[in-house]
Amino acid sequence: MIRLYHVVKSYGEHDALHDVSLTIDKGEFVYVTGPSGAGKSTLLKLLYGAERPTSGKLLVGGVDVATLPQDRLPKLRRNVGIVFQDFKLLPRRTVAANVALALEVVGAPADQIRRRVPAVLNIVGLKERQDSLAGELSGGEQQRVAIARAIVNDPAVLFADEPTGNLDGAMAVEVMEILQAINLRGTTVLVATHDAGLMDRFPQRRIRFEGGRLVTSPTRARS
Amino acid sequence: MKQTALRTLRALREHAYLTAVSTGVIAAALVLVGMFAMVTTNIQLILGSWERDVHVSAYLHAGGSAETHAVVVHTLAARPEVAEVRYVSEEEARAWMVERMPELGPVLTDLGKDALPASVEITLRPGHTSPEAMGAFVTSISAIGAFDDVDYGQEWVTRIDTFLSVLSALGAALGSFIGIAALFLVANTIHLVVYARRDELEIMRLVGATDRYILAPFLLEGALQGAVAATLANAALWAAHRGLLSRLQDVLALALGGESLRYLPAWGVAAMYVAGMLLGTGASWGAVRRFLGRLP
Repeated sequence: MIRLYHVVKSYGEHDALHDVSLTIDKGEFVYVTGPSGAGKSTLLKLLYGAERPTSGKLLVGGVDVATLPQDRLPKLRRNVGIVFQDFKLLPRRTVAANVALALEVVGAPADQIRRRVPAVLNIVGLKERQDSLAGELSGGEQQRVAIARAIVNDPAVLFADEPTGNLDGAMAVEVMEILQAINLRGTTVLVATHDAGLMDRFPQRRIRFEGGRLVTSPTRARS
Repeated sequence: MKQTALRTLRALREHAYLTAVSTGVIAAALVLVGMFAMVTTNIQLILGSWERDVHVSAYLHAGGSAETHAVVVHTLAARPEVAEVRYVSEEEARAWMVERMPELGPVLTDLGKDALPASVEITLRPGHTSPEAMGAFVTSISAIGAFDDVDYGQEWVTRIDTFLSVLSALGAALGSFIGIAALFLVANTIHLVVYARRDELEIMRLVGATDRYILAPFLLEGALQGAVAATLANAALWAAHRGLLSRLQDVLALALGGESLRYLPAWGVAAMYVAGMLLGTGASWGAVRRFLGRLP
């Protein structure tokens, strides 16, 4: 599903990622971990095309994101789901409208949107709040809305960048349980986090970065 | 298209305050430009009446017969640069003078019939009233040999011509300045309005929206705001026109040569709508493209 070959990402003379090669198979759940500034978020940004690598090859679902033309990025992003630490919701729109946005941009018909949105909100446990304004929800609820938006198009892979970073313990556990459930339905999930407690509670493969270098990748990784 | 229209309506509802600010600023810019255009239109009207007042007085030789004078008048009227020729007989000239300066009546009587010669007052067509053109015309008709003197107020004509040149240059400079200021004002306001919606742009980009999908409702919003702004600007200008008309008409009537203070012509009103919609869409396009260029 995801393959990196000697990927380097530099900002000036600083290497945010240095010669990273690894493979993540379809259906895996992988933690990308390490201290702040280790390169976790940079890796995810490269994977969804927000940044371009300085060198190397980077495949997501067979598509080389490193050389993907700018006008082909929307198509890539319609096939991946992205969840952020700060949720990135439209606070003055309803929960349902926020989730529907991802369907609207792909031109989904109205009846499909009407069917699909409540179904996905049901998965994240927010069907009853679909008419509430997103800005009125708690942090945990907002993150669940963001997850619903990320999976509403049935993406093959879900990228979550510190999804529990702004949440307290109980809410973080809820979000991790949802991500696990999504993975069990076949979606490949990459979670960037430095929360060791959560990783211990929900054990999965860990890819560890330090100073932009891949230092631990127990299975399938090469560096 | 229907989806775009629905998204536009939703955005207008969600961002009512920002929409009002954008519309208000476009309207203010159009009022500035429209006011300038209205003033220019009326100044041109005044200048047109001044131009119509410029004429040539040609004093005929004393003692000429009525038939000779008629031939001269006919010859002058046939020239392409002449709009009107009016013959003023000795009697008419005397009556005109006595009417304005009665104290000269006895003097004129003492001087006899030939005190004031017959003359022709020649009004030239527009485009033939520059100092050079009038000078050439006077030289040309002097060669006919029928006149003692030909006068066209050379100093006055030269002054008017210089004044018109300065006024045209000032008008062009002021018009350019107002136009650029209006563009700057609208572009920066729309930029700030789009900046306030940058999260929306970023989210749409991240969920896979194409730039065209993101831009479309912004362009439609810009066009709608421009059209509403043009309506508001026209209403404000019309009110200002009516207000000026009721207060200054008597003062201006003299300068306007009896004509009424004019509002913008129909094409000017249409141009305001076109300008408003172009301003709205153009500024929106520029601002959104700039933000999209910075987004991941």
